[in-house]
Amino acid sequence: MRVSKKLAALFCVFSLGLLFSVPARAQNDRAKELGTKIMCMCGGCTDAAGKCTHSGGAFAGPCQTAQNELKEVADRVSAGSSDDLVLQSFVQEYGPTVLISPPARGFDLWAWLMPFLALLTGAVLVLFVVSKWKRRTALAPAPKISPELLSRVRHQTGGENDVD
Amino acid sequence: MDVIGSFALVLALLAAGYSLVAGIISIRTQRPLLLKSARNAGLAIFPLVTIAVASLLTLFFENNFSIAYVVEHSNRALPAYYKFAALWSGQEGSLLFWSWLLSIFAFIALFSNRKKHPELMPYVGVILGGIQLFFLMLNNFVASPFGLVGAIGAAGTPHVVALADGHGLTPLLQYSEMDIHPPMLYLGYTGCTVPFAFALAALLGRYPGEKWIHITRRWTMVGWAFLSVGILLGGHWAYQVLGWGGYWAWDPVENASLLPWITETAFLHSVMMQEKRGMMRVWNVWLVFITYMLSILGTTLTRSGVVSSVHAFAQSSIGSWFFSFLAVILIVCVVAYWKNRDYLRTDNQLDSVVSRESSFLFNNLILLAACFAVLWGTLFPVLTEWVEGNKITVGPPFFNKVNIPIALFLLFLTGVGPLLAWRRTSLSSLKRNFAWPLAAGLFAGIIGFVLGDRDIYALVCLILAVFVTLTIFSEFFRGARVLSVRSGANLLSSVGQLTMRNTRRYGGYIVHFGMVLIFIGISGQAFNKNVQSKMQIGSSMNIGPYTLVCQNIDGASNANYTAERATIEVFKGGRSLMMLFPERRFYLASQVTQTIVALHSSLARDIYIVYAGRSPDDNAPVIHAYINPLVRWIWLGGLVLVLGTVLALVPSRQPQIILHAEREAAPAAAGASVPVTVLQGHD
Repeated sequence: MRVSKKLAALFCVFSLGLLFSVPARAQNDRAKELGTKIMCMCGGCTDAAGKCTHSGGAFAGPCQTAQNELKEVADRVSAGSSDDLVLQSFVQEYGPTVLISPPARGFDLWAWLMPFLALLTGAVLVLFVVSKWKRRTALAPAPKISPELLSRVRHQTGGENDVD
Repeated sequence: MDVIGSFALVLALLAAGYSLVAGIISIRTQRPLLLKSARNAGLAIFPLVTIAVASLLTLFFENNFSIAYVVEHSNRALPAYYKFAALWSGQEGSLLFWSWLLSIFAFIALFSNRKKHPELMPYVGVILGGIQLFFLMLNNFVASPFGLVGAIGAAGTPHVVALADGHGLTPLLQYSEMDIHPPMLYLGYTGCTVPFAFALAALLGRYPGEKWIHITRRWTMVGWAFLSVGILLGGHWAYQVLGWGGYWAWDPVENASLLPWITETAFLHSVMMQEKRGMMRVWNVWLVFITYMLSILGTTLTRSGVVSSVHAFAQSSIGSWFFSFLAVILIVCVVAYWKNRDYLRTDNQLDSVVSRESSFLFNNLILLAACFAVLWGTLFPVLTEWVEGNKITVGPPFFNKVNIPIALFLLFLTGVGPLLAWRRTSLSSLKRNFAWPLAAGLFAGIIGFVLGDRDIYALVCLILAVFVTLTIFSEFFRGARVLSVRSGANLLSSVGQLTMRNTRRYGGYIVHFGMVLIFIGISGQAFNKNVQSKMQIGSSMNIGPYTLVCQNIDGASNANYTAERATIEVFKGGRSLMMLFPERRFYLASQVTQTIVALHSSLARDIYIVYAGRSPDDNAPVIHAYINPLVRWIWLGGLVLVLGTVLALVPSRQPQIILHAEREAAPAAAGASVPVTVLQGHD
């Protein structure tokens, strides 16, 4: 009985530990993730704030601007803001250019849709062309090849698929 | 020397103008002497531009700081081998370099065909002359590399001055690959010109037969190989110099080089449909046209400043010239096509959906979709600014999300295509050829999953890489086995014989294998790790299985730069593996700091160490360490790809066996007169 009480107490301590440590780690990961979704706005590089190496600068780590942005992200995340809210706050401060990718709404949604629409349209066109060309073949007489020739060629090529 | 260079450029401009005008008149009047003189004028452009290039290089080596371009891109302390890189490091020099490479290609095309294709070559000469005229106009009137440094004297009169020293070469370019990467890329871009000239000439001159498509294909392969090497070297340069641990950032200029490469790849596949089956003539002509226009668009984006890019060293207002040139090219192509569209008309036929032909159609669809996605993402910020007034960023996450699935599907087709027969593939053949490569691929995927690969794209890439590799090897094996049985030679020498009998087909397979290696290398990105930490002497940091210990921080200097260097000892499991020496260099002339990455590369992973400099907070040295798995496979794949392309360009050793159905099958098929090529290489 005493053992099970001890185990229960240990479980509670462990759970409480998890309760406090996991969100802190999760917050840190979220902040890091969000840092890669916003641009470093120093004007001297084209890196994400979370990946700023500021090529050509005196220090090849995150530059001061990127560090400030990352700190702002971390503060907002720890204050309980959602990802969208954090990103929106940066858009309000710097304009939409701060986002590393266009948001999937409004006119910017076209950025995401068009490549797949193009692919889809292309696929429909290819299928249309294939069926059209196939119809032509059905109307045209096929060249006749004797079974003897076919079998001899198969034998010579070791069954290469070109003549299948 | 600058006078000689300028004069040579003026003469080259006149020669280009003459070859264009005299060429057009000679086509119209059919006067052979005028035609010959137009061609000779076209040939004269190369030596003249060579004189201009040699003059500029001499000015660099003489440290002639009365020339503005030399002042801006060189200094006395610049090592001699970087003075070559200075030639193409700025707007004016790089345009001259472009003109020079273009003149080399034009010279080879005109000279090697001077006694061939009399109906085609006059048109080729006119088109090459017109294109060279445009670039030489830029060299002479818009971006002359021989401009002098001027100053206003006390009396208010301008005069030429010679400065004591120059501003130096951009430190980013002071790297050995910069002596190779831009020339390769430029050779790739300018290499698109000759196929374009031949395709447009064939259309304008309604050149009979398909000979022009063979010429175009060979030239395209040359350009494609250069562009591939240029792109890969660019990635390698970015990886080793920029110090961010990656090799491809989807920068607009990187994208610009990828666009013509994609359409050239599409052409090199679809051209086979025209050669084998006489199909897709319109499509092929337009692929060549689009490739050329994309190569010009690429350099327009580099130089115009339309899109923001890290390649800002060459931006200027020259864009309007390039946009006008693009518009002219587009109009010429559309008009030429419209007036001669009946010349390209073919009776395309397809026997079966499951055939090599349809695999090429889908291959082209996927490649063009990838090309569109890259172009769309690159230009979308411009479009948004135009429509909404806001400039937005389209960064790497967009390109990765859109292009990775497309690229993986393309990899799948790389495996499927060669297994499909021309005209029709039977179900039994499909089963026989696909079963075990697919099973082996899936097995590799399961092994990968068990070993901890949880990235879906990396897993799919692994499955497809094994599948495609096995299909390629099985193609070699099956062909070699037949030869081996017939000739009694061993299997290995039969592989050699087989390859040399049809270099194009087997060279193509080797190129495919190179692409597989590149895909494997790229998939390693999913497992990248990086850690940045302040490190005092004696302190350590852990990354993956490695422990890095900072053993020393010291300095060095020469006339070109001062450097601070870290000495990092790498341990694994308590055992010392190596010493790495990342550096920060401060270039004195340009007053710019640059990273020199310390890299240990193996097939499994790269250990990539950056000395980030001193922390702005407390002046402590900061080390940024990366573990990048499989990167070496990319460079290895590039090498295989080049070898495959070179092999494909080598003429096949023996004529291929061609059996004609009407001769062999005459008694059985009376009345059948259609010749059927049975054993012709199905590359």
